[in-house]
Amino acid sequence: MLGSVWAKSIRDRWSAVVIAGVGVGLLLWMAMAVYTQIDTSFYYELPAAFLEAAGISAEVGGVGGIAYGAMYNLMGAMALAGVAISIGASAIAGEERNGTLDLLLANPRSRTAVASAKLGSMVSLVVLGGVLYLAAALLVPVVLGVDITGIHVAALMVHLSLNALLWGLLAFAVGGWTGNRGAAVGSAAGAMVTSWLATSFLPLIADLTDVAKAFPWYWFNGGQPELNGIGWGHLALQVGACVALATVGIVGVRRRDLRGASTATSLLDRLRANPRTQALVERMAGSARVSGITAKTMSDHQALLSVIVAIVFYMSLLVVPMYNLLPDSIGEVFSNLPEGLIAAIGGVDMSTPSGWIQGELLASVFPIAAITLFASMGSRALAGEEENHSMELLLASPISRRRVLRDKAAAMVAFAVVLAVGTSVGLGVGVLIAGFDLPITGVVSAAVLGSLLGLVFGGVALLIGAATGRVKVAVFGAAGLGLVAYFVDSFFPLAASFEPFAVLSPFHYFLSSDPLVNGMHWGHAGILVATFAVLVAAAVPLFERRDLRG
Amino acid sequence: MSDSPAIQTVGLSKDFGDVRAVDGLDLEVRRGEVFGFLGPNGAGKTTTIRTVLDLIRPTEGSASILGMDSHRDAVAIRRQIGYLPGDLAMYPNLTGHDTLTYFANLRGGVDWPVVEGLADRLDADLSRKVGDYSTGNRQKIGLIQAFMNVPDVIIMDEPSTGLDPLVQQEFQAMMREVAAEGRTVFLSSHTLSEVQRVAHRVGIIRQGRLVDVESVHDLRSKALRRVEMTFAEPVASEAFRTVEGVSNVAVVDRTVTLSFEGSMAALIATATDGRQLIDISTGEADLEEIFLAYYRTDGPDDVHTSSTGAGVQA
Repeated sequence: MLGSVWAKSIRDRWSAVVIAGVGVGLLLWMAMAVYTQIDTSFYYELPAAFLEAAGISAEVGGVGGIAYGAMYNLMGAMALAGVAISIGASAIAGEERNGTLDLLLANPRSRTAVASAKLGSMVSLVVLGGVLYLAAALLVPVVLGVDITGIHVAALMVHLSLNALLWGLLAFAVGGWTGNRGAAVGSAAGAMVTSWLATSFLPLIADLTDVAKAFPWYWFNGGQPELNGIGWGHLALQVGACVALATVGIVGVRRRDLRGASTATSLLDRLRANPRTQALVERMAGSARVSGITAKTMSDHQALLSVIVAIVFYMSLLVVPMYNLLPDSIGEVFSNLPEGLIAAIGGVDMSTPSGWIQGELLASVFPIAAITLFASMGSRALAGEEENHSMELLLASPISRRRVLRDKAAAMVAFAVVLAVGTSVGLGVGVLIAGFDLPITGVVSAAVLGSLLGLVFGGVALLIGAATGRVKVAVFGAAGLGLVAYFVDSFFPLAASFEPFAVLSPFHYFLSSDPLVNGMHWGHAGILVATFAVLVAAAVPLFERRDLRG
Repeated sequence: MSDSPAIQTVGLSKDFGDVRAVDGLDLEVRRGEVFGFLGPNGAGKTTTIRTVLDLIRPTEGSASILGMDSHRDAVAIRRQIGYLPGDLAMYPNLTGHDTLTYFANLRGGVDWPVVEGLADRLDADLSRKVGDYSTGNRQKIGLIQAFMNVPDVIIMDEPSTGLDPLVQQEFQAMMREVAAEGRTVFLSSHTLSEVQRVAHRVGIIRQGRLVDVESVHDLRSKALRRVEMTFAEPVASEAFRTVEGVSNVAVVDRTVTLSFEGSMAALIATATDGRQLIDISTGEADLEEIFLAYYRTDGPDDVHTSSTGAGVQA
């Protein structure tokens, strides 16, 4: 697997694709198992717009169609696109950051050849992911005896794979022009989530339906490929966008001064270098950020925290008042919905302000943002320093491993407080603008419970990182567990035989008490806090006993 | 406790899977000395150091620093040591100054004039980001952090990486001063000339085993001498190879250089037998040659053993 740049890139990344493929396959299996136990006939009587918001197409018949919609249109598509974004961002920018691009280009290969080989490997891996998805989609119904006649599974996977490739190529293009891996991941993931949100809720408002068609996510499932087969117009748009992004990326790589294995100059650095602003910056950020492990950990992740809080804040202001734009008839429709369906689209009645905020924000964007923040912190807390070799120096100081772990966990708790405050303010302002009759204690409670939920998955990442010293394992572990937990919380309540197990999911303790309306559920908050505490406590002996990686 | 050795290992072994990286190492580093830990790449130097520092745990045996157990008293030990890792990595987005402030804070503060003094001596620029430094300049920050808390024991893994000769000289002076104050320096290296200049004693490790521990003085005065002879006519090397105690024979035109151990009589006799010897000079063999004498052969039986060595495993 080291015969070429292409092969080496495949070798470095295939595991993530296989994990995504097998993971989504397993979730599909579980979803179908749940669906075979419930009466799904109510799906056929519903307006398409509601189902679209949940990624489920109303016209597709039977359990198979519903399960495919639930698994692939959102979760599966995002998982593969996420992997593609990671690959695309690492292709050039990642090697630049590691300082290995210089070495690679010292060989008789042009930049174009290297970039093309990287692109080739990305395409191959996305295709592999699509094939694994397809295999699961065909295999699971056979195992469970579910009829999938009339469903164009292959067409769905073609559009899904191209969608993933498109976001991966966006990351590649941004990385190709900036050499900044973080910027590449951030901008591509941001664009993807925006695109998905636009596609899912713009069609709910009659005047804005056509606007949704401009977003790439619409080219993927706007034409309902599982029902209608390949939409050639959308396919052409997807392929065209992919080619354009690949070209832009390669041009960027060819034109630019490549960076050595050094770091970017941030805005903070520039302010610091300027004599006029230096004193101020030093006071705000400079001296404090190296005062101790907790402070330094917080400063390391300050940028991510700012971005996450900004996203949540902005989404709150944008999404919450949008409720008022919904047609009045929506309330009647929802009041007639069976409970099973409500559970399937996030367990909320979107005709109420509380349900709208939960469905559009708290049950979707917020957990993703919070888990991203805390899983990133948790995985890097110990494993990151080990992989960077900076743990060697840290532990040359008169500090026990236990204290390193404790101080890092303290930084995560501090961030949970900041996230809760930021979310409370954002949601509060949104609620105020929208004129909702929701108690302020409810807004704060939802923000606190959501931050605690994120903290729990941060604890998972911390624990895995403490046990293995590997960032990737910790990130995948926390994200995978998050996915399963989300699934358990949203799908298990659908079937009586699975329902009792929903309490196993941390997500259950976030929204099941409807905190926006009912205020704080102290028992649930206590369970989340205790879970985090147990995870941190369990991490201590694992970290203390282990040989640190050198 | 004050008379306990600076560093001591007893039967220290470390396995990685089936591979034994360090094998029954018995080592004693005295207080107030500069101790050189010599060995080729992969000999187990870094593994030994990381075990002593409790970064990894021994499979068998134990280690102590200043009489304190390396695992049980890890934190107390770290209060009194300075450490420079071989594969030095710091936080690329912090400046040199911030990096040192951070580590100083973790120690509960250090005497800042000491830091400034060290930075002056090593000609280190603390204002730039660590990620933007060259290897040598990054190494200087690493050295400053290892020396800045005036530790009783300084442990350094291949410390001279990337340093230019002038800075190396200054660094060697710093090590000597530490020893003169009764503190201890333990440095690993595969560069003999460096160790030769500063170390009092040298431990030689090969394939995880301590081959020998000797003072640099003893090592040099080990009968091995370097001999250079100039003749009136060109000579062949074969004549000298057969003389007992001769090794490393090299002939360039009329000049023969060789390493020699034993009585000179036989060598002089051979040199003057039918040849016209014009000039002869002898000197101490440098460690490089002695090192080669240890490592040139592969079998454990060929290892140069010594009666003064601690824990000779051959």
